[in-house]
Amino acid sequence: MGDARSEILQGTLDMMVLQTLEAMGPLHGYGIARRIEQVSEDALQLNQGTIYASLVRLQQRRWITASWGTSDNNRRAKFYAITRAGRKQLAAETENWQRIAGVIGRLLRLSER
Amino acid sequence: MTTLVVLWSRIRALFARERLDADFGAELDAHLDMLADEHVRRGLTPDAARRAARLALGGSMQLVEAHRDRRGLPIVETTVQDVRYAVRALRRHPVYTSVVVLTLAVGVGAATAMFTVVRAVLLRPLPYGQPAQLVEITETNPLKGWTHTVSAPANFLDWRARNDVFTDLAGYFGVDDRGASTLQRFVEIDGEPAPLSGVAVTGNLFDVLGVRPLLGRTFTWDETFDGSDRVLVLAYGTWQRLFGGDPNVIGRTIPLSGRTKTVVGVMPPGFFFPNATAQFWAPLGLSPADFANTRRAHYLAAIARLKPGVSLPQARDRMTRIASDLEREHPDTNTQMGVRIEPLRDIMAAHARASVLMLSAAVAVLFLIVCANVAGLQLGRASTRLREIAVRRALGAGRGRLVRQLLAEAVVLSIAGSTLGLAIAAAAPALILRAAPSALPLFATPTVDVPVLLFAAALAIAAPIVFGLAPAWSSSGVERLAERVDSGSRRTSRARDLLVALEVMLSVVLVVASTLLIRSLIRLQRVDPGFRPEHAVAFKVTLPSLRFPQGADRVRAFGDIERRLRELPGVEAVGASSTIVLRGYAWTGDATIEGRAADDYERELRHESVTPGYFAAAGIRLVAGRMLTEHDGATSNVMLVNESLAAAYFRGADPIGKRIMFGRPTADSPTIARAAADPWMTVVGVVADAKQDGMDKPVRPEVYVPYAANVQNPATFVVRSSADPDPMLAAARRIVRAAGRDFLVGDETTLDGVVSASLGGERFRTSLLTAFAGVAVFLAALGIYGVLAYFVSQRSRELGIRLALGAKPRELFAMVVRQGMRPVVAGGLVGLAAAVALTRLMASLLFGVSALDPVSYAATIGALALTALGSAALPARRATRVDPMTALREE
Repeated sequence: MGDARSEILQGTLDMMVLQTLEAMGPLHGYGIARRIEQVSEDALQLNQGTIYASLVRLQQRRWITASWGTSDNNRRAKFYAITRAGRKQLAAETENWQRIAGVIGRLLRLSER
Repeated sequence: MTTLVVLWSRIRALFARERLDADFGAELDAHLDMLADEHVRRGLTPDAARRAARLALGGSMQLVEAHRDRRGLPIVETTVQDVRYAVRALRRHPVYTSVVVLTLAVGVGAATAMFTVVRAVLLRPLPYGQPAQLVEITETNPLKGWTHTVSAPANFLDWRARNDVFTDLAGYFGVDDRGASTLQRFVEIDGEPAPLSGVAVTGNLFDVLGVRPLLGRTFTWDETFDGSDRVLVLAYGTWQRLFGGDPNVIGRTIPLSGRTKTVVGVMPPGFFFPNATAQFWAPLGLSPADFANTRRAHYLAAIARLKPGVSLPQARDRMTRIASDLEREHPDTNTQMGVRIEPLRDIMAAHARASVLMLSAAVAVLFLIVCANVAGLQLGRASTRLREIAVRRALGAGRGRLVRQLLAEAVVLSIAGSTLGLAIAAAAPALILRAAPSALPLFATPTVDVPVLLFAAALAIAAPIVFGLAPAWSSSGVERLAERVDSGSRRTSRARDLLVALEVMLSVVLVVASTLLIRSLIRLQRVDPGFRPEHAVAFKVTLPSLRFPQGADRVRAFGDIERRLRELPGVEAVGASSTIVLRGYAWTGDATIEGRAADDYERELRHESVTPGYFAAAGIRLVAGRMLTEHDGATSNVMLVNESLAAAYFRGADPIGKRIMFGRPTADSPTIARAAADPWMTVVGVVADAKQDGMDKPVRPEVYVPYAANVQNPATFVVRSSADPDPMLAAARRIVRAAGRDFLVGDETTLDGVVSASLGGERFRTSLLTAFAGVAVFLAALGIYGVLAYFVSQRSRELGIRLALGAKPRELFAMVVRQGMRPVVAGGLVGLAAAVALTRLMASLLFGVSALDPVSYAATIGALALTALGSAALPARRATRVDPMTALREE
């Protein structure tokens, strides 16, 4: 219980991947994983492998596309990019998330009183 | 929408497995490299960096698996894998696989073939509008021994006018008891006369059936009658044959037996009434007065359509009241005349129904045996695979996965077997029709159509569930297999014993049933038909009635043919008759016997017009008095009677010299046209009873009058000769054709063929059931053999030790046989009890044999005991030949 690192909910990881791609532009799996770790300042328990399940899921929904390219340090890697549908989805999800977060936050504050 | 997109991408992934795997592998490698680079930057050695990277990323196999699961459809993939594995495993055991596939093919093939028959005879809806509303109406009369006789036209008209339960009634004429068309006409095609059989109908028949023509129109009620009846509706096939499918056929005329008829309609393909032998439909052509006044002669078959909401019992009730009104109004003709109303579908299938139901039950039993057999084989195979299964279990295969693997094998076997079975079934309809043309109702043509395919598919699905789950169920022992392989095998052999007992039990039922049918058939074939069927051919000759309007002309024409036939080489006797033995239909008339009260005897008498040579040609013996001679003509007022008539009507008194009259002075019956002023006819001789309705039916009283006294057209000629039937019939056809180019020859057969055709239904069901029983016994024998062969191979070590210790081979032989007989005896006893209970249901199909016939039961027990011992002997002999050294080394 004392562990401050949280497990990631499935849907949330998808959202984070989308957000990362939206913010950073095309990126490979490793880069996405690193970026999420950095942003969360290691508050999230991320097994880097799980990123790939999320990437398959997003591809199947046509929210991201993939293509092979060359990385900064000259390695061949598969790059993912967000699609227009992906952006729309991200916007909807973000709005939804903020609404729910707001509701839950209010609820928690209410019960504290 | 998204779900569909995802599903589509998953399905696509199934077909790009290798590329996607390689792609993902490369991606993971890249990821590892980058991760390792990072670790190197943090100061690790390259090796340590790689290890750390691996740890951080997780096991790559798991990742690949997870990726696959996510990317594709895991159920499909494991199923494909299971199936692929099953095919590979089965290919390694070709003998086992082919035995199972062939067994299944027999089961599925037999069941599906039977289903085509069931569907054709009992299930397929008749091709009419709202066919469930259609009924057949017949007349009954205990005084005349009638249970379902076609109606008298006047009664039909009264029913039609007075009832309020039917939308309408329609009548038709020209079909015999078996449904074959008797109305023969001919048309000229390229100058050659071609016979056409048709049905004469009331104008509203098609409306009552609720059918529309393909072209033109059908008849109106007014066209029923003489004068407006020169119209014709053609069957689709006739239209194709005569007019090459010409769409402008409506309005064209054809000379039908010399009478010009106008084609007004063509029926759609697939339409038949009352069966597929009808090639055209023509109006009855009676005068309205004839129609309304004929109450004594019965020749109009009647159908009707129930009004919506009217039930069969309501209709029966209403019609019974109308019939009793008619009885009061016409005591002369309608005393005790009742009506019988049955669904048209049932009537059409009536004579095949019991057979088809019995055979369906038999085929279901056979299918169970097939499943039991395959289950036994599967069990045997499963028990030899216990080690393999135990290993896979130890390596972590889930129980469900193992059961699925076993089921996958079952499914593969079942699909192969069912496909082969379907091929067998597809060939069956043609075979059935060729082997037993008279066994099925004439309207019912078995075909392989969509429901039949669905049925076969259902069997293919049901079979593996029945036989595949048995090994799966038995491998619940798999749980403990790792520790005790033996317990599993013992359990398996108990299950196999049970299966053998089941097979034996079911086989006993089938063998008893088929033995009963075989014995019935033998009894039937031994029945003295009262005529001599061998060395005699028969054929029907129809004269064109326009060219031969007078009875005397017809007698002369038939006499000419008879004379010329007699001159053929090898001919011993020639005669003609208005009907023929064993054809199931007869002319009957209301008869009066001199000196007897009118209510003292069955009034409705069968009569047949014959030429003097008929009795010698058909081989019907003279019992008393004299035969007819050439001098007995239209006015000689003589007749012969059969023995049944002599016994029933004259009760031991000498019938010779007694007098019988047809009808009464005011008779309205057209069935006997008497030229003589004196209606009384004197009995001059008694002939033996010749079977009329069937070998299993009692002979009814019948009289024979000289052909000239009651001329019928067509006449059936019988020629007794030493020549072979085919050349004889060919010669006969030439003679008839020479006598008149427009004379029609039909129904060519031998008297043997007539007997055989009358037993067609019996022979059909007997041979099919016997085939089923034979397959069942063979499968049971295979089952017994399989269990014992396995028993011997499992115990070879024990057997070897026993032999080494001095056991006599005879004792070992007996031990194995005893082992094998346990399930056989148990199953056999239950089977006998089941047979006693079940064969009672087929009593209506038996002739001269009781359902509890001890001979049949004894034969069954004997046959099965021999088979069982025979199939046990082979493995038992192997037991006595076990080499102790080899056996001991084997383990």
